[in-house]
Order: sequence, then C-alpha cells, then structure tokens
Amino acid sequence: MAEQNIFILGIESSCDDTAASVIHNGKILSNVIANQKIHEEYGGVVPELASRAHQQNIVPVVAQALAKANITKDKLHAVAFTRGPGLMGSLLVGTSFAKSLAYGLNIPLIDVNHMQAHILAHYIEEEGFNKPPFPFLAMTISGGHTQIVRVNSYFDMTVIGETIDDAVGEAFDKSGKILGLGYPAGPEIDKRAKLGNPKAFKFTKPKVDGLNFSFSGLKTAILYFVQNETKKNPRFIEDNLNDICASIQYTIIGILIDKLKTASKQTGIKHIAIGGGVSANSGIRQALKDGEQKFGWTTYVPKFEFTTDNAAMIAIVGYLKYLEGDFSKQTVTASARLKI
Amino acid sequence: MKYTLNAIDEVASQIISCLTSKTILLYGNMGVGKTTLTKALVKALGSDDEVSSPTFSIVNEYETQNDKIYHFDLYRIKDLEEAYSFGIEEYLYSNNWVIIEWPELIESLLPKEVDRLDLELNPDHSRFLKLNFESNLDKQVC
Repeated sequence: MAEQNIFILGIESSCDDTAASVIHNGKILSNVIANQKIHEEYGGVVPELASRAHQQNIVPVVAQALAKANITKDKLHAVAFTRGPGLMGSLLVGTSFAKSLAYGLNIPLIDVNHMQAHILAHYIEEEGFNKPPFPFLAMTISGGHTQIVRVNSYFDMTVIGETIDDAVGEAFDKSGKILGLGYPAGPEIDKRAKLGNPKAFKFTKPKVDGLNFSFSGLKTAILYFVQNETKKNPRFIEDNLNDICASIQYTIIGILIDKLKTASKQTGIKHIAIGGGVSANSGIRQALKDGEQKFGWTTYVPKFEFTTDNAAMIAIVGYLKYLEGDFSKQTVTASARLKI
Repeated sequence: MKYTLNAIDEVASQIISCLTSKTILLYGNMGVGKTTLTKALVKALGSDDEVSSPTFSIVNEYETQNDKIYHFDLYRIKDLEEAYSFGIEEYLYSNNWVIIEWPELIESLLPKEVDRLDLELNPDHSRFLKLNFESNLDKQVC
C-alpha cells in the first residue's frame, strides 16, 4: 500500500437531510446530520440569502464533520458526494459544494450513487458488525425505497426486484395515518405490534410477478377494513390498536420475506444484507433471524446510524472508489433519476 | 365519470384528450387511486418509465420522447415554505408536464391554466372522477 492514511469527506443531500462524514481507511471518524443545533454550535453564521435548507446547512455540517473527526480540510484526500437519485434541488446543493471544495483543495472528486451507498454501508469498519461476502443479496427498505439487489462485487450490482408503487416505509407511515398515528408512524406501529396479536386480522398480500413489490393495494385494503369495522364499532381503532398494528406489521414483513425467499432460491445466494431506515424495525430483524434457522441464511444488518440517509455511507463508497482510482470530472452533474 | 380499475387506461387517454393545460392536479383522499391514475396518465402521455409513489422523494421525473413529466406528491409537505425550499416554482413553470397529488397546500403558487381532477371512492370500490377545467369550465362534458 502506497498510502496508508486516507481521509475522505462524504456529503449527502439527496432528500430531506444535509449530512457530512469523514472516513479514515474505512473507519468512520464523524457522521453528522444537520439539525437546528448545528447552527447554534457554528455560531449562527448561515448564508443570509440562502432560502433552501440544504444551502443553509451544508457549510456548518461539513465544518462540524471535520471538527468532530479532528482534522482540517487540507488533510482530505478526496471529496465524495451523492450524485443521485434524489430531489434535484437538494442534490444540486451537495454536488456544487463538493465540486467547489475538491477544486479549491485540488483533490479528487468522487460521485456516489445513493442506492449503492445504502448497500456498501455494510463495508464500513465497525466492531461487532460483519461484512457480507460476495455475492450477496441486499434489500434496501426505507420511506422512499424497496429494492432487492444482487451484489457481485463493490461496483457490480443488479436490481432484481423493486416496488412498483409505494415503498415499504410509506406503507407503514400511511397505515399509521389511517389509524390516526403521527407521521412517520413506522416506529409507533413497531412498538404497538410487540403488544398485539399479529394474526388478529388478515390482510391479503398483493400478487406481484417476480421479485417486484407492491404496497399500494395493501394500504387501500387496510383503509377499507378500518372504515368498515368503524361503521360497526366507532371505537374499533382504539379497542384494537395493538392488534391492528401487529397484523399490519406481520403482513408487510411477510411480503418482504416471501420475496427474499424467492430471490434466495432463484439465485442460490444465502447471504442477505438489509439497509435503509425500515431495517430498524424489530419485526424484520426477527424475521431475518428466523430465516437463518429456517433457510440457512446468514444475515447482515448495519449499525442503525448507517441505515437511514447518512453521509457515512457516501464516505465509504468514496473510500472504495478512491482505492480504485475511480474519480469524477468537474463536469459531472447531479442526476435525479440515477440508477444502480 | 365513473370508472373501475380495469378501464383506467381508457380513462387516462380520455383525460389527456380533454386537457387544456400541462398541469394536472389530483385531488382525493388516501387510497382513492391518485398514484394509480398517474401511472395510467404517464403511460398515455407516451412514457415507458416505471411510475412509483413520490411521497418520500416528493417529485419523480419521467421522460417521454420529447418532453418530461414531473410527478409530485405533496402529502408530507407541511407548509408553503417547504415547497419553496425545494424550488417548486421552477418545476411548475418549466413548460414540462406536471402532475400533482395533494396540491392543496400550493394552490396559491399554481399557474393560471391548470386541469383539476377530483377523485372519489364509491361504496362498490369503483371510482368517481370529476374533471374540472378551471380555464374552460364549459368543457365539463369531456
């Protein structure tokens, strides 16, 4: 190895959150997501003309990521950023910031695919967490995504199944809305599901060909069901909330596991890694554990802070691409519809 | 008009032929089929792109042969400020196709010429669709 001490800054701004992270040889030194406090700690200095949240956040977030990592920007070897997919306005902020910073520091610029990053987050060095060996199946489940990806190597991956309508996190959140729970409702449903009977109510699973998912029909089915029952008993939701939550969670997880089973059978791959915010759900974690017993799977769930939208996953991809010398030109542009 | 899901492609083509603008607003409760109708509209506009729910991403982009379609879902937007903050006006006045689910919050930002569709669920689970052309009200027959 010519260079042993590689520091890379990762910047993520694909949707709601502005985030920055510094990685040192595969180990995360800082992983910062913008919030109100960051502005206070930074001294309240935000560009006055910035009207967009990311524009206001990006400078203090990057400053804090460097400070927490205890390095100065002249120590950086490269700047990695989320090129897509995501919301164009948000992506543009991170993209132009990363380009300017890399240009100013005269170091390489590395563009990262957000969906690949969710998967490669498994390769962050973290005690107590194993890295999946190739090939493996990655399931990314979040508020905006539901995908099964066959991963042959770091940068050779193919989407083999994805949602044709709503994402799984959306199924949780909208079911919660129907039940009068706050948004996002996923964690609340999970909590209540533990106290309820998962077989109290039966919802039909959608029939979707191949390895694709559909959650829109389930949402409507839950809506009809609740409306009907409430006609008979106006207190139906209050009286049965835990059972309803448990039944919804059971159905959703069943859909995910069914497709994983099929994917595993079709590909012969038994290493299964999950990522995305919904991987925090206790039901899916349990179901994966059961899968180890029942189907001989080995399953991988990263540390929670690396599963939701974060910059550490961008930094690790930046590091892996840096090792391969895979850099971007300054002409690179954000791409809202970037595919794996 | 009243329609069921299996006639949705015909309904979409019919809607397209009646439009007076390139901005389509979809009103209706959760589960009434706004995203499903959007799928059919996008197909009828000539795009092969996979349409999925933009509730989380807020906007999805699809391509037709020589145009773009922006598919919005403003369900989780809390106020106008948030819509401004991702640059909604740039999309609204882009001259591309714009389809908006949950447009209530941004009505004050909309261009003059829009086509409004109201979706309702019937007890038999078929859908009732009202086309309301703000710019040309007597075209209601469509």
